[in-house]
Amino acid sequence: MLSPRWKKLLGDLRSAASRFAMMAAAIAVSTAAVGAILSSYAILTREVSRNYLGTNPASAQLEFSAADDSLVRKILTRPGIADAEAGSTVLARIEVAPSQWLPLMLFVVPGFDRLRINAFRPESGAWPPPEGSLLIERTALPLTRTQVSKPISVQTSNGQKRSLSISGLVHDPGLAPAWQEQTVYGYLTPATLRALGESGDLHLVKIVVRDNAGSLRAIEDTARRLATWLGEQGWPVEEIRIPPPRMHPHQSQMMAILVMLLIFSLLALVLGAILAATIISGFLAQQVRQIAIMKAIGARSRQIAFLYAGLIAALGAASVALGLPLGLAAGRGFSSLAARLLNLNIYSYSVPWWVWAADLLLGVAVPLGVALVPILGAVRRTIRDAINDYGVDKQSVGASMIDRLLARFRNPDPALSMAVRNTFRRRARLALTLALLATAGAMFITSLNLKAAWEKNLADARADRHYQVEVRLENAVPESKAAALVGAIPGVERVESWNILPAAVDSPGHFTIVRTYPDGGHGSFTLRSAPPQTDFIAHRVQEGRWLRPGDTDAVVLNHMALALLPNVKVGDVISLIVEQRLVQVRVVGILREMLTPAAAYATPEGFAIAAGQAGLTNAVRVALKDARAVDSVSRSIEQALARERVAVKVSITESRFDEAQTGHVYILVFALIFMALVMAVVGSLGLASAMSAGVVERTREFGVMRAIGATSRVVLRNVVSEGVFTGLLSWLIAIPLSLPLSTQVGNLVGSLSFRVPLPLFLSPGALGIWLLVVLAVSAVASAFPAQRAARLTIRETLAYV
Amino acid sequence: MGNTSTMVEPATPAGQGSNHTLISLRGVSKWYDTPSGRFGALKDVALDVRRRDCVAVVGKSGSGKTTLINVITGIDSPSSGRVQVAGAAVHSMSQEQLAVWRGRNVGVIFQFFQLLPTLTVAENVMLPMDFCGTYDSSERRPRALALLDRLGIADQAGKLPADLSGGQQQRAAIARALANDPPILVADEPTGNLDSRTADDVMSLFARLAREGKTVLMATHERDVSRFFTRTITLVDGVVQAPFFAGVKSC
Repeated sequence: MLSPRWKKLLGDLRSAASRFAMMAAAIAVSTAAVGAILSSYAILTREVSRNYLGTNPASAQLEFSAADDSLVRKILTRPGIADAEAGSTVLARIEVAPSQWLPLMLFVVPGFDRLRINAFRPESGAWPPPEGSLLIERTALPLTRTQVSKPISVQTSNGQKRSLSISGLVHDPGLAPAWQEQTVYGYLTPATLRALGESGDLHLVKIVVRDNAGSLRAIEDTARRLATWLGEQGWPVEEIRIPPPRMHPHQSQMMAILVMLLIFSLLALVLGAILAATIISGFLAQQVRQIAIMKAIGARSRQIAFLYAGLIAALGAASVALGLPLGLAAGRGFSSLAARLLNLNIYSYSVPWWVWAADLLLGVAVPLGVALVPILGAVRRTIRDAINDYGVDKQSVGASMIDRLLARFRNPDPALSMAVRNTFRRRARLALTLALLATAGAMFITSLNLKAAWEKNLADARADRHYQVEVRLENAVPESKAAALVGAIPGVERVESWNILPAAVDSPGHFTIVRTYPDGGHGSFTLRSAPPQTDFIAHRVQEGRWLRPGDTDAVVLNHMALALLPNVKVGDVISLIVEQRLVQVRVVGILREMLTPAAAYATPEGFAIAAGQAGLTNAVRVALKDARAVDSVSRSIEQALARERVAVKVSITESRFDEAQTGHVYILVFALIFMALVMAVVGSLGLASAMSAGVVERTREFGVMRAIGATSRVVLRNVVSEGVFTGLLSWLIAIPLSLPLSTQVGNLVGSLSFRVPLPLFLSPGALGIWLLVVLAVSAVASAFPAQRAARLTIRETLAYV
Repeated sequence: MGNTSTMVEPATPAGQGSNHTLISLRGVSKWYDTPSGRFGALKDVALDVRRRDCVAVVGKSGSGKTTLINVITGIDSPSSGRVQVAGAAVHSMSQEQLAVWRGRNVGVIFQFFQLLPTLTVAENVMLPMDFCGTYDSSERRPRALALLDRLGIADQAGKLPADLSGGQQQRAAIARALANDPPILVADEPTGNLDSRTADDVMSLFARLAREGKTVLMATHERDVSRFFTRTITLVDGVVQAPFFAGVKSC
């Protein structure tokens, strides 16, 4: 049987059920958010490892003019090499609609049943693919606009357009989803490749190092030693590709988002805790006399503190019990979505014990820790002081400077003046409520600011490109020929040559070491020629200057390239390896280019010197008269080039570029909106509870107001005005608060994911939406207690003690 | 007048009450700082109350009655002086010590009854036993019911305070004050919120309790209550006036 003291507490809980329900809801929402993020983090880190490391990713790929089994056997004898396997990649094209091509990255596998490194798994269809067919990565099938067992048209650089059938699907967790990269991934045998007109020779050896497989430096040392030795043995290594070890191509972006979500959800929990403190302090304000009575009849402060702390702990535990399952369900949902965006299979949604423990601890300890302040304050009051407490004390108004200032606020409507002055009566509670609402508002605004900053980045990136098509050719052709061919096509306004060649930063031994993933895109670094006077891109020069005519040894690095060369400054001379030639160039500027792979830009003269070729081009950028005609003009360009037997490697149109970029930021936008909603809910609950506490305390005053003629409507308006005024104040505080928050979170997210801080961008929409939300929420949150106050009879209100 | 030390009973040396003295105050003053200056609620009060005394503290509003009651029960601490109650130096005890001491030695009764609204009458009476750990938990309810029966409201035991009349609530408050069987009962205006007939009933009840062995000290603004008390102490502006011994009628 419960002892009277606990029965009393249960009775109190029932008497303030709605406020405690709000508190439980706020803690439940925030623990759900924390639970969702922690469980997503736990699931994703485990499953990324299981998926990506399950492919046994190559520590490095060594490129040769030709590689065979005897070379692999030689490599396997070397110290520090755990495994080696030959393979090849060929960039081809797939026709997804008449004269509409997408890049097709072909992975050539000599033995599907012996595949050990960068392994992928069959999902459906044949295994290995019969000759004349290929397997497609499962995320690429929608891009092909066809189905398994149907024929597709493929063209390699040395061959004609050929028909192949798709014999099945595979899952390759080492690759980002095809739709994000706008590239189709195919897997075939050397024999099938030969049928496409290519030699079928292998030219890559994938290696796995034995020791320190997670250390980039260790891998680089091992690869360099191996390459040196192989060179001495007559097997010169043309290029060494070392992607970030043990990391999925999109892992850093995913982790950045999770870190950001974790910060937001912990802040949401702090908000929930502040709310708990607000509610408990309002509740204790009503309980001061009862506490005094209990002390008068023998209760010790410790006993009373334990009672109320027990109540908070129990509510916290109940909230966690409610919020954690929701959080885990949301975590599974988020993990599932993230898995699709990372091209992972989730093999288990199980959540480790520490997620449960951390959520329980946070859900109970944080509110308890915060609520201890008002609890201890209440139980430490002397009995005499507490017993003489009449809630809102008339003596307390008018004494301070704020009161005197507020007294000057005059309005023809006394109810409105009263509402404004009432707002400042319980200043500690007002401070808590404002802190809660303003923090929620700042976070809401921040999340939309970040979203807007991303979208602005995308829009800027789009606006920075003043061309609509880029055509990359298999082989360089005379610039004049390319310009004449493309320039003659109806709809084309201007053509510029923008040569492109893979480049690498020189390293000891002069090996070409690049950070490229097996897909050839992520981590790549290129040297490009750019006309100095070009207006095809906006020159967002962060440091130094753009290219000038006559620059022959100058390059401008974009910020992604700078990330590969972190110690390089404007004015430094760097050594690059281009076409196996060592080139020394001077960095004259740093260019900010969003969502563009690492590149160094040189003048056509500078490029010609570096590449050892002049007057040729292997890429052109095209501006159209009508940007809307991009698809049809792009097709015309390809057809014109094909007629002249100029092989196209890839044709990148504005729409494809947009799709790829939007695909990369979709999850971030989703995450930000999710957090904004959590913030809005917790903030609203906070205001509702504070208003409710204020109304309960002033019940007698409402009685007096009604006794002297105020109608229920006047009482209602008075309370709602106070709530709206509080909401408005919080909005004014939230705006400056959101500035440093947006800057910091933008720095973190931008730097972690795309190597550049997100610019501070104040979204006017965010300010407007939060103003509307906070006003609506204030009105609704205060309307409920106001209605309660308006319904009380004068006798009831005056009898309230 | 404010600095005059007043004695209402031959006093033993400070803090060393005789065997019969249960409450002893020496040089007790209480000052409050208010916006209009320093206000003396009690001024150099000396007072002895013997075991089984039934004492009325009377005076106008603001005369210091409640402050005197609060100082004796440890609800408030004196600005200066010594307060000895039931062998304890109340003036030097901490709040925690006072809570335990009060629970076992003093039953406090308030003007507005101050029953906890979410507990039934019986549970209100059980609460001091619960806090002080007196009586075995299985004995508490029967004891609460016995006390309520003794005060004539056993049939109200299961009701919430709001369902009781003022007189019944005050009886319940007295039953709660008796829960731990304290030697002293202190009441601050216990009839202030009752009609005259009910007030008389409550006064009679206190007188009866004094006869049964309790020491009763009651602050009241009503002067026509001398028939219930063995002694009446009059306070004027915080100073105890000359002693007035009432005829022993009821006590």
